[in-house]
Amino acid sequence: VTPLLFGPASRQLFGLFHPAHGDTHVDRAVLICPPFGQEAIRSHRLWRTLADRLARMGYAVLRFDYHGTGDSPGDDADGEFEGWRRDVCTAHEELHRRTGARRIVWLGARLGASLAVLAAKSGRSDPARLVLWDPIVSGRDHLQWLRERHVEALERSFCVPDPAWRRQLASDPRAFTDELLGFAISPTLLLQLRNLGADTLQLTALHETLVLAADDDASVRRWCESEAARRMPVRYSPFKHPLQWSAEPQPGDALVPVEALQRLATFVT
Amino acid sequence: MNGIREIPVAFGPAQSLFGVVATPANGERGKVACLMFNADATHRVGSGRIHVKLARQLAERGVTSLRFDLSGRGDSDAAYGAEHALTQGVQDLQAAMDQLEAMLGIHRFIVIGLRTGARPGLGLAVADARVIGLLMFDGFAFPGRRSRWDRRLRRMAAIAARPSAIAGTLQALARRPPSRAAVAASAPFGPDRPEITMALFRRSMTQLAERGVAVLLLYSGSVHVVDHDRDQLGPLAHEPGLREVDYRFMPGIDQGLISIAAQQSFMAVVGDWVLRLTSRRATARPERLARPALPVERVVLRTA
Repeated sequence: VTPLLFGPASRQLFGLFHPAHGDTHVDRAVLICPPFGQEAIRSHRLWRTLADRLARMGYAVLRFDYHGTGDSPGDDADGEFEGWRRDVCTAHEELHRRTGARRIVWLGARLGASLAVLAAKSGRSDPARLVLWDPIVSGRDHLQWLRERHVEALERSFCVPDPAWRRQLASDPRAFTDELLGFAISPTLLLQLRNLGADTLQLTALHETLVLAADDDASVRRWCESEAARRMPVRYSPFKHPLQWSAEPQPGDALVPVEALQRLATFVT
Repeated sequence: MNGIREIPVAFGPAQSLFGVVATPANGERGKVACLMFNADATHRVGSGRIHVKLARQLAERGVTSLRFDLSGRGDSDAAYGAEHALTQGVQDLQAAMDQLEAMLGIHRFIVIGLRTGARPGLGLAVADARVIGLLMFDGFAFPGRRSRWDRRLRRMAAIAARPSAIAGTLQALARRPPSRAAVAASAPFGPDRPEITMALFRRSMTQLAERGVAVLLLYSGSVHVVDHDRDQLGPLAHEPGLREVDYRFMPGIDQGLISIAAQQSFMAVVGDWVLRLTSRRATARPERLARPALPVERVVLRTA
């Protein structure tokens, strides 16, 4: 694994490049677009393990942190969609530069999946295929879900929780929106999250898209159907897994669910 | 990131450990560096990215740090050997110190151990004389009966006042209990009985006091809502070796540092403590401490 700082000097990104073992698939590579915030922390070891596995299968992999996240420069409050969308394209270019691969698959999870869609739509990069795992197709619903998880986390973490938190959550829609599960949310990001919806998340016909989501995720299924109705080459595959996206990783948790790992490796190759 | 330089590094046996060095960009890297590493299963960035935020704040104030993943966590490879987790953790921390010595010529270290990170942190401080400071955040706690009852009563009162919490409590009770392996992995000193853990802690702290290692025990609102007199140390509170230890109880923050306000309070306390320590050590005599540290094998033998 090679650690990297790449991208323009004004917006360097931290990344980890997993070179392919052997030369079985020299023309192919995988770019991992991670989730945001606590979900990125929760899934970190999974990406590492998946990248190792793909590299052993002969696929070069690049993992990276968006600006203001993980080990990349920048503060939490710098995070916003436009910059992150460009970060995905910058990472794609870096992976192409390092491998020369013509077919680069983007694997995005949660908000990372949504960013992959936005980045692909921008036309700056040409991913061969998108694999979207539990994409966020309604920013408003996601925001509400994160607010609830935030309050639950506070209640779990403090010895004696403050009952005012839950009252605030129920009565004030602005409460718990400027920070979520340990990460500051800028006003720009908040607005972008609220505006993120099926209508703003449009696929292109230039590449195939595979969407992986739980059977009972009606909003993702509806989004897939609407994109298919627009004649976009999208396929939906039910994908059940035990990973709890927002939970604090604990010893004994399913940090790297084996079955999910195997299926993901199959889906992206 | 004005004024800060960050360098990703692979180090340790077979370059299997991975971390990021944060250092002042002006080359004034100081004579003492901080080590930050995994708390529970979270990777090197820490909960809410706290290690990144703290490392950058420290670098802005002239202090170098290395945040890294212990073997088998985050981006570090699993260890090849079959060492006890504590032994492996101590060895990984020693490899981190070796890396900073070789890379930057820094020979003195402050270990910042959050939650389960307190366990290898204490093991390292006892085993290696290069450690001059140890911070343990919600690491070891031995509250007495009065404190435990007080906590229980307050929690029951809170649940009674908040019906929604009853459902949550019932759900928590209905969940499958964690496996013995998971419990062992999360316990500060492994599956030892509390009295053994306490005896080991007492002995370790006495050794650190004799060596003049500065220790800050930091406790959050996750352990209690009040603290009358170093309650988390229970019967050890006023024993030699623990009397002089810095002890801070911060009821407004939680051990997950879930809110930004909690992170800022934590960073203010830790940053000030580190700076006090580094400036004190900068004026102290440079020679190694008189009393040698223990070899790591002896530390681990006592915990096995």
